[in-house]
Amino acid sequence: MRRLFILAAAVSACAAAGCIRVQAPDKPIEINLNVNIRQEVIVRLEREADDLLRDNPDLF
Amino acid sequence: MGRKGFCIGLGALAALAAVAFAAPAAAQADAVIEQARAQGIVGEQADGYVGVVAGAEASADIRARVDQLNIRRRGVYTQRAAQNGATASEMAAAVACQIFRGRIAVGEKYRDEGGTWRTNTASTPVAVPSFCTN
Repeated sequence: MRRLFILAAAVSACAAAGCIRVQAPDKPIEINLNVNIRQEVIVRLEREADDLLRDNPDLF
Repeated sequence: MGRKGFCIGLGALAALAAVAFAAPAAAQADAVIEQARAQGIVGEQADGYVGVVAGAEASADIRARVDQLNIRRRGVYTQRAAQNGATASEMAAAVACQIFRGRIAVGEKYRDEGGTWRTNTASTPVAVPSFCTN
């Protein structure tokens, strides 16, 4: 009963225009991460690079 | 173990020994390139390939061997990159990071990521490319 009352209060607070409204933007969000992605790929490949060097002593 | 099992065991052992003896012979770095590297004619580059040092007088033989080595490296980079969902140049860059970290001897030349040839000396150690992890 008490919980219902709180819920009702919250709803009425919104009705009184006191709550924050979240709206999806019209345009898609674009974030340029190219530089970071390249570095992350290389970090991920470094262990692989060690194996490659070990496996090909004739090339390095 | 019966007689047959023993024979198979011996065969496996002989095969293993053959591989163990054959592998080092096949896995030799090119002596001509190694010599050119020690003389400062050839060096490692930040792109994961070897190159003829700018201004160095390299014979046609050395240049051809450098090209051959780079073709073979590219093959290995391409194959390993495909197995890891990366591009050959990314794989090559990751290998360059490891080479620059500890495989360039003092006195050898190397080409940094800006394209400048430098010499690894005791007082100015190799600068690891900026795209590598710290």
